[in-house]
Amino acid sequence: MRKAFKALVCATVLAVGIVGCSEKQPDVSEDKSGDGTGTIELAEFPDRPYWGDTHLHTDNSVDAFGFGTRLGPEAALRFARGEEVTATTGAKTQLSRPLDFLVIADHSDALGATRRLYDAPRWYVDWVIGDETVLRWYDMMHESPEQSTRAIGELIAAAAEDRVPEAMAADPEASAEATKDIWNTQLSTLDRYNEPGVFSAIAGYEWTAMPDGNNLHRVVMFRDGSDKTRQTYPFPGLNTQAPELWTYMKAYEEETGGRVLAIPHNSNLSNGLMFQMTMEDGSPMTPEYAALRAWAEPVIEATQIKGDSETHPYLSPNDEMAGFGVQGWDFGNLSLSQKTTPDMYAGSYARSGLLRGLTLEQQMGVNPYAFGMIGSTDSHTSLATGDEDNFWGKHTGNEQAYTDRSMKAQNLGTREGRFGWHYLAGGYAAAWARGNTRAEIFDAFARREVYATTGPRMTVRVFGGYGFTAGDWDGDWVRKGYGEGVPMGGELEDTGQAPSFLISAMKDPDGANLDRLQVIKGWLDASGQMQEQVYDVVWSDPSTRRKSGGKLTPVGDTVNREDATYTNTIGAAELRTTWTDPDYREGQRAFYYVRALVIPTPRWTLFDAVRFGVTLSEDAMADAVAQERAYTSPIWLKPQP
Amino acid sequence: MNISSLTREPLVHFIALGFLLYVALTWGGNPPDPASRVISVGATEREKIAESWTLTMGRSPTDAELDQAVDAFVREEVLYREALRLGLDEEDAIVRRRLVSKMDLSASLAAETVEPTDEALRAYFEENAERYAETAKANAAMTFEQAFFRDEASARAALGQIAPTPDPTSLPSSVEAKPMREVEARFGQQFAAGISELEPSEDWQGPIRSGIGWHLIRLKERDTQSAEFETLRTTLANDWRSDQIAARKQRAYDVFASAYRIEISE
Repeated sequence: MRKAFKALVCATVLAVGIVGCSEKQPDVSEDKSGDGTGTIELAEFPDRPYWGDTHLHTDNSVDAFGFGTRLGPEAALRFARGEEVTATTGAKTQLSRPLDFLVIADHSDALGATRRLYDAPRWYVDWVIGDETVLRWYDMMHESPEQSTRAIGELIAAAAEDRVPEAMAADPEASAEATKDIWNTQLSTLDRYNEPGVFSAIAGYEWTAMPDGNNLHRVVMFRDGSDKTRQTYPFPGLNTQAPELWTYMKAYEEETGGRVLAIPHNSNLSNGLMFQMTMEDGSPMTPEYAALRAWAEPVIEATQIKGDSETHPYLSPNDEMAGFGVQGWDFGNLSLSQKTTPDMYAGSYARSGLLRGLTLEQQMGVNPYAFGMIGSTDSHTSLATGDEDNFWGKHTGNEQAYTDRSMKAQNLGTREGRFGWHYLAGGYAAAWARGNTRAEIFDAFARREVYATTGPRMTVRVFGGYGFTAGDWDGDWVRKGYGEGVPMGGELEDTGQAPSFLISAMKDPDGANLDRLQVIKGWLDASGQMQEQVYDVVWSDPSTRRKSGGKLTPVGDTVNREDATYTNTIGAAELRTTWTDPDYREGQRAFYYVRALVIPTPRWTLFDAVRFGVTLSEDAMADAVAQERAYTSPIWLKPQP
Repeated sequence: MNISSLTREPLVHFIALGFLLYVALTWGGNPPDPASRVISVGATEREKIAESWTLTMGRSPTDAELDQAVDAFVREEVLYREALRLGLDEEDAIVRRRLVSKMDLSASLAAETVEPTDEALRAYFEENAERYAETAKANAAMTFEQAFFRDEASARAALGQIAPTPDPTSLPSSVEAKPMREVEARFGQQFAAGISELEPSEDWQGPIRSGIGWHLIRLKERDTQSAEFETLRTTLANDWRSDQIAARKQRAYDVFASAYRIEISE
């Protein structure tokens, strides 16, 4: 009888897609299962940006499954590699251009739990789990996609308010077992799709802490092959704090000799908690804390579906390009359980976070917020779509099958809130690497030689140093940049002369032209005050566009609102310049990053309106055309010690 | 057919899993008979309930919790049987959808964990030889030089020159044995389509257009690798598996459907 019972458990486990009963490891070569070192010939210098998404959810994520996604890691990997996949809502879908790398980042909390719950017999939920709320969610999940989405909204709100029914937040050991099972299965799947030189399938997960609904989420990303990643498993986010995550990461590195980093995201929904001047408990930051954070979190995700976190118009009133992807996200935290007030913004956006880092470094000698920037999707459909014309929805409840999704309220919880059109189509991460392996991509992140785009695959390159000239472009400027300067993510030591920069951007060869390149400088003035300045350093059509009163003539707008098209009759294919800081002061603590702006193009909402004949509201229509962009990681200027 | 090959047979998985699922769903060895009006919960049943509780909650139930669970089980069993008697399952779309998805799931999930044999993979490779040959061809290693011009007129004007003077660009002026997908990643889809039309030659050809501008091309070599089984092994296994999942659903369906006479009239 006992044996029969085991078989039953196995059958149930199998039925819900967890390979708990098979010990067999797939037959994958060491080249594929390792970190890729020594498997391919590497370029002398990073020779192109490799494109990826480090933030994709599959049906193993508690919310993604509840929102209706039925595609798992295998489908996610096939799709990212350019294979055709049938989306949950039935349409065949394929990326027109494959990605170079992917991190599947399912929530570590309750990994696979909704899938298990959904697949359990109802009597089991009723009398074994025996929780009224869980049973109600179970019934809603089975009733209809709309009700299922609602149930998960309630679940997220409950998680944000720390009132998840105890039956869901089961015994840590039991849920850890389930998590390990899914983790190990996933690592095998990753190895099977990892192919040095072609595609890097990188291990990771999302650590989902959200005290009071304030988003402090991080994506955790590993450098290593499964020989090392099998020695750990995803660290739970609920009821833990970031320093505990960093301690876990340190322990992983010490135990395995591997490497791991964490990528904070959606600081815009943290209500000021992501980049605080203090530690979590409000006490003054210690150098040890700052050093640990700087070590663990070299990069943040600055743009994704749930808005853009570069800066807010309130913080950057003189930046006319601020405000992209801010609407709808800046009035409350993730679960909308708390309003956002303007005094919180400085702790919620990347630029102000970088500035706070300078202040803290001046005070303590260590900069906790010396981070680079990437974009990603945070898609919950298993489909890593980052472009406006292929937006597959934040989750399956707003895939393209739901043609009026742009005008629907998309409340996570059940409160007031956000509409479909507030969502962005998601971004991508670009990594300057010497080749496409797990190790090379990871190392680019670790040295911050990465940048964010809101979707277009433009090539952006920056070198900082002393004495770069316009004549450098005629020679091998990349060699000179690496030889005599530092690339994005690097640090310069103050030498008493103004730093100069080689700045180059090429449009997405299959996309829209470039409007302009800007340098964003942040610094501490003589009195220690945080300052920022946006410089337009090179722009298209210079014969007709001039700066007057500090403002550059806008590039124009070719978007046809009737059919969602644009033309490349304005803008430039490539822009490059050598720029020297005109406002340099000796001893100043500063950072410089480049923002590349694309000409106005249709947003996904306009494509939807045209394709599905949906009428956008006035607000949504006003936001249906935007200038997409890239943010590079900064180069820091440090006073001599 | 020996035992081990039987264990790899999808239909066997399907039937075995289906059976186990049936057992799981109907609890124990006594599928509820709507006609029966006996519900017995003995020591064995109580043990199963307790074990199941432990599995979920990570601890044993207290006596009170176990009693409560048993009461709940009895209550549900009574109502469940009455519902079956009333035929409430028959017209219920949710019940139907759920049962159908259970059937599909049990057919496909076994494939997710199965490792293909060498013979199966070789056979798959041969069946799909054309597809892999095409992929290999589409990914030929390209060696070429390119001269970039912002507009078509200056590209055409430069075509007759021995050493054309191109416009400045960040694009590489030469590419050494890179697969087409790398060429596409660097130069874009339009360029990739254009260069695919050219044949290797010592002469400058073109111009071809890209999203950036116009390019003269000296295509030195296009090296098409033949599709090799060993190098494709993991790809084959992945494709095989993904095909298997779809095929098993279909085969399982066909087996059941073959027992029906399906009449569709206008």
